[in-house]
Amino acid sequence: MTQGLILVLIVVGAYLAAHGVFDWLARKLVIVSGAEYLILGVLLGPSATGLIDATFLQDIAPASALALGWMGAINGSRLVLLRLVRIPALVYRVAFAESLITLFIVGGLQYFLLSWLFGLSPDRAFAPAVALGAFATLSGHAGIELAARRSRGQGLLVTTLRATTGANAAVAICTFGILLAFGHPPSTALSRPITPTEWTVITIVIGVAGGALYHLFLGEENSVDRMFISLGGVLILVSGAATYLRLSPVMAGMFFGMTLINTSRKRNEITAALSRVERPLYFVLLIFAGASWRLSAQSVWLLPVLLFVVARAVGKFGGARLAARLNDVLPTLGPDWGVALLGQGGLIIALSVNYLYQDTLALPNLVFTTAIISVLLTDLLSGRFAASVIPPATTTMTHPMPHRAL
Amino acid sequence: MRRLIILVLMLGGMQLILPLGARGYGGQWLLIFGFLIVAAEAVGGLSASIRLPKIVGYLLAGLLFGPSFLNTVDAESITQLAPVSSLAIALIAFLAGAELRWSELKERGVLILKILTVEMTLTFVAVAGFLVAVREYVPFLQDTTFPVALVLSMMFASVAVVHSPAVTMALLTETKARGPVARSTLGVVLVSDVAVILLFSGALALARSVAPPASASAGGTSLGLLVWEIFGALVVGAALGGVVAVYLRWVRRELFLFAVLIAFFGAELARVVHVETLLMLLTAGFVSENLSEEERGHALRIAMERSAAPVFVVFFALAGASMEVTQILVLWPLLIPLILIRLLALWLGTNLGARWGGASPEERRYVWLGLVSQAGVAIGLATIVADLYPERGADIRTLFLATLAVNQTVGPIMFRYALSRSGELNEDANAESDEILSGLAGDTGEMPVATVAESSTPLPPQPA
Repeated sequence: MTQGLILVLIVVGAYLAAHGVFDWLARKLVIVSGAEYLILGVLLGPSATGLIDATFLQDIAPASALALGWMGAINGSRLVLLRLVRIPALVYRVAFAESLITLFIVGGLQYFLLSWLFGLSPDRAFAPAVALGAFATLSGHAGIELAARRSRGQGLLVTTLRATTGANAAVAICTFGILLAFGHPPSTALSRPITPTEWTVITIVIGVAGGALYHLFLGEENSVDRMFISLGGVLILVSGAATYLRLSPVMAGMFFGMTLINTSRKRNEITAALSRVERPLYFVLLIFAGASWRLSAQSVWLLPVLLFVVARAVGKFGGARLAARLNDVLPTLGPDWGVALLGQGGLIIALSVNYLYQDTLALPNLVFTTAIISVLLTDLLSGRFAASVIPPATTTMTHPMPHRAL
Repeated sequence: MRRLIILVLMLGGMQLILPLGARGYGGQWLLIFGFLIVAAEAVGGLSASIRLPKIVGYLLAGLLFGPSFLNTVDAESITQLAPVSSLAIALIAFLAGAELRWSELKERGVLILKILTVEMTLTFVAVAGFLVAVREYVPFLQDTTFPVALVLSMMFASVAVVHSPAVTMALLTETKARGPVARSTLGVVLVSDVAVILLFSGALALARSVAPPASASAGGTSLGLLVWEIFGALVVGAALGGVVAVYLRWVRRELFLFAVLIAFFGAELARVVHVETLLMLLTAGFVSENLSEEERGHALRIAMERSAAPVFVVFFALAGASMEVTQILVLWPLLIPLILIRLLALWLGTNLGARWGGASPEERRYVWLGLVSQAGVAIGLATIVADLYPERGADIRTLFLATLAVNQTVGPIMFRYALSRSGELNEDANAESDEILSGLAGDTGEMPVATVAESSTPLPPQPA
């Protein structure tokens, strides 16, 4: 039997079993499904059973690169300007303050620890520290949505949590994209090297041009088939171009999704088309990520991982509280509202796989291991975390909107 | 005009990006894949605007951007994208099998067999006879005795009678045509794939006895494998179809993912157990469709068609990129009469067969036009000949691929013309498909197709 055949059989069997079990868990115990595929990937990969080897991982790398772009596009498609302008400015202030506090706490602490622990020069330590800071910023929205649905909450707390997860994603994706532009190996194709700013602009242009190309391509076409082919085709092109140029397909994808959703009259159709393959690609990415995992060669790898988990918890918890206090909404949001942001979500896997692709950046396995451990520790309980903060529907709905929000 | 602008912009973009990047992590693979989808779809749109099938546009896009002209998609990229072609063939075969209902086979089976018998016999005799008659000008028949020339011509003719399930299915998917001409054409094309393998096995056995290849054992193995390839494909395909039916009965989740996995799994399984991929997946599609309740089978077909759409575009674009224009130019004095004779035999054979089977006047007049395209299993058979007879076989393969390139391009145009003339062309096909889907997706249109089967909404039956 070939490796491909074994893999398909295992994936299908494991998928069905895991899906059944985790669907039940999500319904009964507020546990969010997803991490099981990561574990499956680890078990299938070279570090455990070896059913998936390095060659096979190389073969399916294009699919995972596409998944990165697709996840970026899905995040971008959530940024509908017409809806965003209806959210009070206060919510953005809180959301971005929380994001940046966590980014700086985790990134700063990691910078010092990695420099000291591995004897890295400031330049070398910068990339993994910033990457980990960006990862720490991310919060999963699935747990929040699950808890919000159960409590039917629509008040300021839920609005702020939703806006914060969006802001977290935007900050993390952009930080990571700019990091890749700074860490880009010099290109010999031109007479002078391309500057990091230019690489950043190229990443954005790839996404925006992709969105424009989609409209030019499709015109006023109404066929769902053509829409899907166009969307898939352009997104593959965008992800491929960013990966080929060693830039971030997640960031290019995000700008693509944002351009698309804000310039099209068919938002629902675009969202449906993007969602159609979100889950399959996410599963591929999770299994790919699990299988790509190698235990870090450094014996002290546990220390940065521990620091990440602790500093992130402090950043989320303390940062959220500080952000709320600075904006005078602590009584409304509650002192522990940051706990709902502890779930990591799937985007961290996308960004960490993207980091793994960049063979010029320091400590790829350590960064990747940290991301995986953080997901495993927090994702299963993200629904519980959110449920502990989001009160029953009646309480949430009666919270008054503070004056500054209006 | 808009599409031309897209093509110019994309070519310009590719020229800017390609020198700046680096291979690795599949970036280039993905870039070329995306470029092919968008560029081929743009050219497909251009050809649709002049009332040509989109497939022709995809093929022309591949030809234009492939190694023969602009070389944006180079030979290495074509090799790298080969798995896409395998996946496309698997999806096409499964979809083709799923199109056939047992009740319809019972009703139309005799007619299909009669058409197939007459057209295949006539085409075989005409092509083989022509080659023998002009053997002095045929590269692989020069300097041979009459018996050897005869068996080699028969071997070529046994491959040349093949049709193209890929083109037929793609065009039927594009036009949503479901009338008698469409159904009879599809039936003949699908059954001919089995018949061609049987015919080829006979011709090969005869050739081996008259003109033994340098390695006799190789020929024996190939023949034994061919027999297994056919019957094994039926058995393994039926088993796979049963598994799919069980899945549709008990699980019914993630149909989009399931459709891609089935195609990938089927193609891989066929490779491992050495059975004919097309026939195996065709059988699997047929069994699963006929064992499942109609709405479940329909939901899987929709999921599969959706997942196949971008794959089809790239599949035909790659087929275009693989065409070697230089070969066609060199062989044209032989190629043109050969193609015309095949066309004549197809027209006469189909007409006679349809009369014999008591078909409608439309079927008698137009079915042959759907049988012109060639591809699929024939390339594999031509390769077997090339492996078996390294010197002459290579020439046979070259001539065949040149014939195939022309028929592959002309065939879809003729088939679309046939559907149009017979009044089966559904101009509102896309709108209808979208209506079905929006009906399934509910008012918001936000439910992904993957969850269609999970919905309790009854699905509309497939139009007869």
